[in-house]
Amino acid sequence: MTTPELDALSTLTREYAAFQARKSGLATALGGLMAILLVLAALSPNLMGADLLKRPLLDYILFVPFLWLILKWLGGLLLYRGLGTVKAMQDERYERRRWFWILGLALVLMAYILVGLYGFMNGFLVQHPTGSPLCPPAQWILLLPLLYLLPMPWVIRGIEEARVYAVLVAQCMIWLVPPFLFAFGPRNPPKQAWTLAGHLAMTTFLVVILFIQIWGALALVRGWKEHREYLALLRSLPRES
Amino acid sequence: MPKNGFTPKAILDLDRIVHEPARLAILTVLAAAEEVAFLFLQRVTGLSKGNLSSHTQKLEAAGYLETVKVFQGRIPVTSFRITEDGRLALRTYHKHLRALLPEEGKR
Repeated sequence: MTTPELDALSTLTREYAAFQARKSGLATALGGLMAILLVLAALSPNLMGADLLKRPLLDYILFVPFLWLILKWLGGLLLYRGLGTVKAMQDERYERRRWFWILGLALVLMAYILVGLYGFMNGFLVQHPTGSPLCPPAQWILLLPLLYLLPMPWVIRGIEEARVYAVLVAQCMIWLVPPFLFAFGPRNPPKQAWTLAGHLAMTTFLVVILFIQIWGALALVRGWKEHREYLALLRSLPRES
Repeated sequence: MPKNGFTPKAILDLDRIVHEPARLAILTVLAAAEEVAFLFLQRVTGLSKGNLSSHTQKLEAAGYLETVKVFQGRIPVTSFRITEDGRLALRTYHKHLRALLPEEGKR
């Protein structure tokens, strides 16, 4: 056995272990496609505004991360069962990147919870100081942060999960928070402050939408490429003697 | 006598447990990961089940690897981990072999 052959064995094992940790490929491509479709659907005429809360699209937007998690799990089970488990060696750089994304996800969720609570307290409680019952869908929307926190133990297992989940959750929040604030926010804000806040919000909104579209397109290409690489890796393994 | 100070005895002193090609391949794969399943090890080395079992037993007896057996549901799954002794033996083997090889064999 020559040195290049030994090096090839070592590289093959490392690549397989890295892929096993992600079990992504098609799931990444699917995440990218879902993100693009979501933005395109939401940008269609007559879907914006307060009425968004009553439309079926909202349900789709809110449950896309869960749908993706289920599809990713199924993909890992059916497509990427592979040849048994190979646990990768601990990599400090990888771990640092992993925690960067986990922290990012936690911050996105925290920001959403804070904005949601602020909007609720500022608007709804002022309008209904006696604490009259919330109308649906507001009731279940208040439980949403908890719902999003449920898959966290699963998400923190890998950088890939954390990354795509963070983007999908952020996307949900982008579509959810404006109508939520519109419906329950202060009715007569100071004109000057509203204009400044409005411009700021719109600019951020457009930048994030652009980012999601670019990310979605990159994820599509990368996911498909990764899937092809995995198939090539399986083909490169020697046959049983 | 070679210039690097190695005598013909140095060739005979190579660790024969590691020197066998199948075992060298097994240790190389194990050194690249934390834990490797039997199935993957079998496919990547191209060995038969019996052959692989025999070689892993020899490596385990030498203290170069440890076997991990777990149940996934009702199915027993066997995996292997390289030990610190195994890692050291592999490194030492590479070092000795490089020193013994002529320049064109060191690539």
